Amino acid sequence: MILFICALFTVAVLFYVFYMPGELLIAPEKTRVAYLRERKDVVYENLRDLNFEYKAGKLPEVDYQSMKASLEEEAASVLAEISRLERITASSPPAERKGMRV
Amino acid sequence: MPQIGSYALLLALALSGYSFVAGLIALLHDGSERLGETARRAGIATFAAVVLAAVVLVTAAFSDDFSIAYIFHHSNRDLPAPYKFATLWSGQEGSLLFWSLLLASYGLVLRLRHKTDSRLFAHASVIIAAVQVFFLLLLNFAAHPFAIMQGSLPSDGNGLNPLLQYPEMVIHPPMLYLGYVGFTVPFAFALGALIMRYPGEKWIHITRRWTMVTWGFLTCGVFLGAHWAYSVLGWGGYWGWDPVENASLMPWLTGTAFLHSVMMQEKRGMLKVWNMWLIFATFLLSIFGTFLTRSGVVSSVHAFAQSSIGDWFVAFLALTFVVCLVSFIKNRSHLSSEHKLESLVSRESSFLFNNLLLLVACFTVLWGTLFPVLSEWVQGTKVTVGAPFFNRVNVPVALLLLLLTAVGPLLAWRKTSLESLKRNFLWPAIGSLATVVLLIALGLRPWKDSSYLYSLMTIALSVLVALTVISEFIRGGRVISRHTRQNLFASMVHLAHRNTRRYGGYIVHFGVIVIMIGFAGAAFNQDKEQEMGYGDRMALGGYTLVCRSYTQEYKPNYASEWAIIDVFKGGRQIDTLYPERRFYNASQQTSTIVANRSTFKEDLYLVYEGLNQETGRPIIKVHLNPLVMWIWVGVWIMICGTVIALIPNAVPVRVPAPVRVQAAPVGAGD
Repeated sequence: MILFICALFTVAVLFYVFYMPGELLIAPEKTRVAYLRERKDVVYENLRDLNFEYKAGKLPEVDYQSMKASLEEEAASVLAEISRLERITASSPPAERKGMRV
Repeated sequence: MPQIGSYALLLALALSGYSFVAGLIALLHDGSERLGETARRAGIATFAAVVLAAVVLVTAAFSDDFSIAYIFHHSNRDLPAPYKFATLWSGQEGSLLFWSLLLASYGLVLRLRHKTDSRLFAHASVIIAAVQVFFLLLLNFAAHPFAIMQGSLPSDGNGLNPLLQYPEMVIHPPMLYLGYVGFTVPFAFALGALIMRYPGEKWIHITRRWTMVTWGFLTCGVFLGAHWAYSVLGWGGYWGWDPVENASLMPWLTGTAFLHSVMMQEKRGMLKVWNMWLIFATFLLSIFGTFLTRSGVVSSVHAFAQSSIGDWFVAFLALTFVVCLVSFIKNRSHLSSEHKLESLVSRESSFLFNNLLLLVACFTVLWGTLFPVLSEWVQGTKVTVGAPFFNRVNVPVALLLLLLTAVGPLLAWRKTSLESLKRNFLWPAIGSLATVVLLIALGLRPWKDSSYLYSLMTIALSVLVALTVISEFIRGGRVISRHTRQNLFASMVHLAHRNTRRYGGYIVHFGVIVIMIGFAGAAFNQDKEQEMGYGDRMALGGYTLVCRSYTQEYKPNYASEWAIIDVFKGGRQIDTLYPERRFYNASQQTSTIVANRSTFKEDLYLVYEGLNQETGRPIIKVHLNPLVMWIWVGVWIMICGTVIALIPNAVPVRVPAPVRVQAAPVGAGD
């Protein structure tokens, strides 16, 4: 009985681990654009926080303007890079695009 | 049955070994997706095998299978069902199996969520498999939970340690272990991200969230342990700087430091190296804590299992440290900071000081814990350091941390003008000073004793923190109120929904100050011990205790004897308390069950200490401990704050202003 339970459990486990009929569904690897989008979200969130802190009276006008300008600059750079990479993807032929990770 | 458990453990080792090796090969060679998938599935199957082993052990406890040595040593026939279940983590081998089970559960969650970021999760999965292999090697070859008893089968077991036969023991170890084991996950993500030179921001969010979950469990575990010590050990305190208590505190301190400093990385791209090492240190300290608890290297009231598995842990700690160091040296260029500290009066500097203080506290605890071992190596005699050593350093550190907790939220990123700091700090500071005046007027004399001074400072700084937290809510609530026309309270609730992490964090801070006020009460503890026969009286701090009688009861698992004490205050009876002593039949050991009348003002804490050997009369010890209930209430507030901080923000991120687009590439965190 014990032997049977152990054998059954082992077969079930091995079946689960190694039996993969058909094509494997794998999540696509992240592209550089995806990483840039994450960065964009972070910069936007920082901008939102900065605006909120300013409205809550925690920042003087001068500091707020300089920090806002610096964050906007960063956001602009990220957006520019995203649109550049998207243009490259859009302009490349479909066959080439398939194997490309941007 | 034990054969099935043994086989399940061997199979789990084989599966986790495969998960590690195949996962590693798949990461090193492009195009090995199928191999990588089998590694992931083997990790999931490890969970099933470890669950089977744990189920076998628990079933053996419930069926009183004393052919298994572990069950014989940690259970007995008359043990109540919840404690039979707790047998799983009551001894060395079982608790290592429980470690492995929790790690497999965390691994299961991680592997099921692999589509979030397949490559990062694959790295983390391999690292978790490596840790799992270590624990399964221990279980299979050094601390086998299914070892069979030699000779004739005993009719009953030795029973569970009486100190562990308390309801909290059914939840305290799981919470603590969820915390200890859980730190493997942020460690795996951090190390994985470093090895693969992860180019984005996602890993830090994942690591932070896992750390927060784990930190929440560890917080529960640490304070449940404190509550257990208070209720069972009968010495009137909740924290004795015992090595095993310290072992749980150290990763908590470094984890707390990480949860603060990680914000600097998220907001400003700073302290990347520091954060990486904080996560490494937290994981290493978790393993170190398990080593302290399990190896017997230090003596402790909590070390319920001692053996010679210490060498295994030392080797694993050394190997892990080397892997961390090599990975760091190889990839340190990936961790260069994007900004520098611009001003000492800024949110960044407050986090930096906060981290330094937390690390000073952690180092002090580590030094004091290891001092007996180090002194024995150097001098040949074991020198133990007690509470005064730990308090001398950690009480001032805690006060400075409270000050930073008050000031930090008022500071802006990059720099804060002194003018705005003064404006935001004025009312909280006035409130705090008013508290000092009020407490002195009420009779607190800080110049009489340093403990009174610390107590006064703790309460004053706690008020300061409370007022800054409240002012943060009000200030933010007003901004929302202006836009939404809601009333202030509704606006504050809305505010907390908009930024759960920040305002959940403030609620955690509020819980911390409630706990600190509870700690401050210890400066005014009183106690008294007296032989009490029928009708004898004892007075302490306005209470009069009258011994009504003593009684006995026999239960299958233990025999108990308790005193019946009537409590009077102002000439009126307000309660009856029943301090108890139990004698456990299976283990032939005695334990105390404290009788505690707990209010927000103070705890009246009674211990029945047994009979005086000379006079034969019973001894009752009474402690009057002010403000202890605040500690337990504070813990609940901290847990609520942590849960709120883990809830996703209700309002999605929106672009606050149009931005100028320039054609300039960006590193995006790489």
